[in-house]
Formats: sequence, C-alpha cells, structure tokens
Amino acid sequence: MISLEFILQSVDRWLRDRLGHEVAVAVEYVLVGLFVILFFAVLGLVLVFMERKVSAWMQVRLGPNRVGPGGTLQTLADTIKLVSKEGLTPAGADRFLFNLAPVLMIVVSMLLLAPIAFARNVQLWDINIGVLYVSAISSVSVLAVLIAGWSSNNKYSLLGAMRSGAQIVSYELSAGLSVLTIVVLSGSLQVSQIIEAQQTGWWLFRGHVPVLVAMIIYLIAVTAETNRAPFDLAEAESELTAGFHTEYSGMRFALFFLAEYANVFVASAIGAILFLGGWMPLHLGNWDAFNRIMDWIPSSIWFFAKTFFFIFVIMWFRWTFPRLRIDQLLELEWKYLLPLGIVNLLVATTIAVAGWYF
Amino acid sequence: MVKPDWIGYALGAGALAAGLLAVTSRRILRAAIYLLFSLLALAGLYFWMQLEFMAAVQIIIYVGGIVVLILFSIFLTHQTDELLPLAGTVQRFGAALVVLSGGIGIFWLLRAVPPSRPDAAAPSVHEIGKALLSIEDTGMALPFEAITLLLLAAMVGCIVLALKDRTTPS
Amino acid sequence: MTLKQYFRNIWDGMRSLAAGMRRTGYYFFHHKEIITQEYPDVPPRLAERFRGEVVMPHNENNEHRCTGCTACELACPNGTIKIITKYEITPDGKKKKALDKFIYHLELCTMCNLCIIACPTDAIKMSQAFEHSVFDRSQLIKILNKPGSRLMEGVE
Repeated sequence: MISLEFILQSVDRWLRDRLGHEVAVAVEYVLVGLFVILFFAVLGLVLVFMERKVSAWMQVRLGPNRVGPGGTLQTLADTIKLVSKEGLTPAGADRFLFNLAPVLMIVVSMLLLAPIAFARNVQLWDINIGVLYVSAISSVSVLAVLIAGWSSNNKYSLLGAMRSGAQIVSYELSAGLSVLTIVVLSGSLQVSQIIEAQQTGWWLFRGHVPVLVAMIIYLIAVTAETNRAPFDLAEAESELTAGFHTEYSGMRFALFFLAEYANVFVASAIGAILFLGGWMPLHLGNWDAFNRIMDWIPSSIWFFAKTFFFIFVIMWFRWTFPRLRIDQLLELEWKYLLPLGIVNLLVATTIAVAGWYF
Repeated sequence: MVKPDWIGYALGAGALAAGLLAVTSRRILRAAIYLLFSLLALAGLYFWMQLEFMAAVQIIIYVGGIVVLILFSIFLTHQTDELLPLAGTVQRFGAALVVLSGGIGIFWLLRAVPPSRPDAAAPSVHEIGKALLSIEDTGMALPFEAITLLLLAAMVGCIVLALKDRTTPS
Repeated sequence: MTLKQYFRNIWDGMRSLAAGMRRTGYYFFHHKEIITQEYPDVPPRLAERFRGEVVMPHNENNEHRCTGCTACELACPNGTIKIITKYEITPDGKKKKALDKFIYHLELCTMCNLCIIACPTDAIKMSQAFEHSVFDRSQLIKILNKPGSRLMEGVE
C-alpha cells in the first residue's frame, strides 16, 4: 500500500544507494528545507482562500469567485501582487530591526513545524520533549511582534505590540496548562508517544470532562496566541489601523501574513495531536470490522482532516465573535481560564493516577 | 544523529559575538535584541549537546520571559531615537579587568579539569521530574522548594504593589 | 462576586457564545440565503425607491410634458438643472414661452428628488439606470428633451 511513509523510505533508499550515507543525509536536509518552504507557500494560499470562503459564507456572501475556477486562484493573484509591491521603510525606523522582525516571525513558524507528525512515522524531528519544544519556540514569536512594533517608529505599532505582548505572555500559561493535561494522561512529552497512547481511542473520548475542558481552554488560548479575532487587539484595525504591522508593506507584510496562518496551522495540528490523536484513525472498542475500515483510510488524511477541523473552528470563532477590550481580555485569562485550567489539571492528574480513563 | 564539532564552535562564537554587540551597542533596544540572540545561541548549544530539556527551558525562561520583560521596560521608559551615553574611562578599564580575570579563570579551570563528554545519554524527562522532587543525596527537592518560596514571595509582592493604588485615594 | 455568580458567568458566557456560533454555522451550511448579487453576469435586483438619474419621458409623437416653468431649477439645491426657454409663435399668432433645452448636470446631482416633487406637470421622473461611468466629465451633462420635441397638447 502506498503511504507517505513508504514514499519517503523509497526516496531515502534511492538517495543512499546513489550517494552514500553522508551526502544522502546532507541532500535530505536540503530537501526537507525546501519542503518546509514549499509547504508554507501552499499553506498560505490554501488557508487564505479557506478563510475568505468561510467568512463569506458565514456572512451570507459569496466570497472570491472570479479568478480561476470558483475563485481558487484569487489568493495566488494576491500573492503575486504583494510580492511585486514596493517594500517601504518609514523614516526614523530602525532599519536592521525593522527588517529582522518579519524574518524572525517566519523562522519561528518554520521551526514549529519540526515535531509535527504528518502521518504514521512521518515527522521531521521526533524530539523527546515534543510539546515543550513547541511552547518554548512559540514564545519567541512575541519578540518578533515587539521588535516590529518598536522599530516601526509609529505609535499605533507600539501600542499594538504592547497589547500583543501582554496578551501572548498571559495566554501562554493557559495553553501550557491544557497541554499539560494531556501530557499527564499520556505520560510523555514526545509527540510520537502521545499519539501512540491514543491507539485505543482519542483522549477527547477517553479522558472524560477534564479533556473536553482542556480542549476548550486550549482553543481559546491558541486563538489569543495567534493574535486572531476575537483576540486581535494587536492589530485591531478599527483602533490601531493595523497594529504592529501598520508600517509593513509588500513582501515583509506578506511574511507576517503567512506567519499568522502558519501559526494557526501549527496550533491546530498540535491540538489535533493532543486531543484527537494526530494521524491515529478512529477506533471504537472491539468493533474489528469498523476499525479495519478506518485503518484503510491513509493516516495523512486523518491528520489533515483533524487539523483542518480545528482550523475551521478557529475561523468560526473569528467570524462570529466581537473583539474583546484589553481589560476583558486579561480578566478572561487571569480570572477564568487560568484558575479553571489549574483545577482541571488537578482533576486530570487524579484521573491519570487512579487510572479512571477508558 | 550527526553532530559535527564545527556547529558547536559556530554557536559558541555566535553567542560571544552577540554578547559583545549587546554591550557595545548604543541603542538600548538593539542591545536587548543582541542579548536575545546570545541567549538563543546558548539554547542552540544545548540542543547540539542533546540536552533538549535544558534548551527548551532556556528558551522559555530567558527568551520568552526575561527578554520580553526587558523589552517591556524599555518600551515604557525610553524614546526611540535616544542613544545611550558612552561609558567612562574607569568603567571601561573596570569592565576590561573583570572580563580578563573571568577569561583567565575559565581558562585555568578548563586546564585543571579537562572537559569530557559524558557517555550516558542526556537524562529523560522522567528522570528530571523524579530528580526534582527526590529527597535523596542527588535529589533537588530542597532547591526546588526554595525556588517555589521565592516565586511565592514575588507573587505576594506583586499583589501588594497592585493593591496599593486602592488604599491611597488620589 | 460570589462563587455562584462566578460559575453563572461562565455558563452564561458559554451559552451566548454558542448561540452566536450556531447562527453563523447555520449560514455557513445554507448557501441559498446568500444575498450577494453577481451584478455584471446577472442583472441586479434594485429596490423600488432606488434613484439613478433624472429623465424626461417622451411619448410616441416625441412630445414631453415640460412647460419650461423652471420650478425644478429653483427647487434644486445645487444647481444641477439649467432650463433655457424660447418663444414660440402659436398658430393663432400669439407668442408663448416654451422649453428650448433642459440641461441636466448628472455630475452634480445628489438624487434628492426635490425637482420631481416641485414639477407641476409631472414632466420629469427618476429612472433606475445606474451605469453612469464615462471617460470624460463633459459626457455627464445631458440635455433631457429630445431634439425636435415639443410640448404635449393640453399641458399648461
């Protein structure tokens, strides 16, 4: 049967036969780098199109429908427009930091792709601290936002960056706590082992209420961490023009834009891995026939279906809810999500220790 | 895992260069950003040594916590186009003296205790977790508890500071 | 805030958010209710009250109902209408004032409808034509009475 794992193994064997071990590894590094860049480009195109269609349908509109069949080439046209635009640097800006910020943002997003398991045994780097690595690296992206806001020499940018900083630093805690819930249940930080632990059923179904609560908290927290509505105070267009990327144009703006969608993808993928079992097919108890049919669907399709389900939910949030005020935002985190998250973690730990999950 | 030596040397040199830039830059925010790169290079060194837990903690605490805090305090207190004053002669000589003595100290230490690669693999997360709460000889329970006390004190301090406005009407 | 209130807040918040999400989710799956009009491909459905421009209807004998009384010119708040009159000799030898040119500046018109209300003979009305884009501003200055047209019998 042809699977992603099989294809990659054959490529690996072919390279090793032709080039020998050392060169093959070097070539594979380059190939992986190219894959990540290509994946990001495709991801940007697909997700922006998806967002525009979803928003349109939720607002009883049609959405892009002119360029290409059903408007599918619209985002490609937009990308070409963005790339060919002039990239301005405002007077009085700190040139070095102004150019650094978008690059830092996109590099962070690319690094986050490393521990994600795309299919059975397909993973760029199965690092043993998996989810801890993700929360560590994602905390760097707030720095890119702060640098962008400061170096633009613009009051709106600075205000947006400050808000974003307060927001991301706060919501990181809730996201971390809900991730910990699953880590406690699985007994490992490693992504492959977390998925392996869901062989008999996804945590969402096996872990009772605490996992459901953790999933809701996780979704709220990552929506805030990726600076998306209703938590988009950092770029609140009605108050701050565009917040921290007000002064950015052309390619550098495109990088920020791409990084936002890449972060949404990564957050959804991690959510899918933690709560819905990543590439693990849906298994129901002892129904062997049913389980075999589910196994027959390729693991990569399972992974992407779950990830896009979460992406859809996050987009659904964005096009339904109004933006929060900064004090409401911090109140939600510190008075509601964080205490609930801590209590929830305690309950989940009790369940894990007592072995009460299915 | 292939991990040639030159990566380690490159990361070390990067950390040093970024650190040097951090202390010589006259723009305060740039200094903070160079510090960020120095800390990131150190995290990279930990990754290179396959101490992944250490590296992740380095990034979470120093990059995600300390540098963000530094940036925030700069945002709230400084103007964009303000240059820092140059250091005086006494300060320069003092700094050079400290750096030189520190360098000599490390060099002497390295000669006295030659560095060696531990044969055992880096400890797993399970072992780290157990060591943190173990009360045996190599256990870290006491420092762990001391740190929790410190953090508790800091949190109480924060609450007291935040409450102060309400008791004194302005 | 009591503990009961705290949990009540959480419950109410979740419920109201779920209500919002149900509404948008309903729209997401019901494409028939889409209100977008695909205008150049499909002729637009315009509201009855929509005003596009001022026109002067003529009948099949090329006759209009405008007496050239300039009531509309006086009613117009921003000088959109300019009426030029002439004197005609009626068959019984009398001189009579009649419309020569009804000049309408579409580029100045705000579609306020005051001229139509002011007209005592219902000579002008609003049409729903809205595709007014031209390459030169001078093309927007229109003469509403057709060449060679004359006043309808019986309109005073």
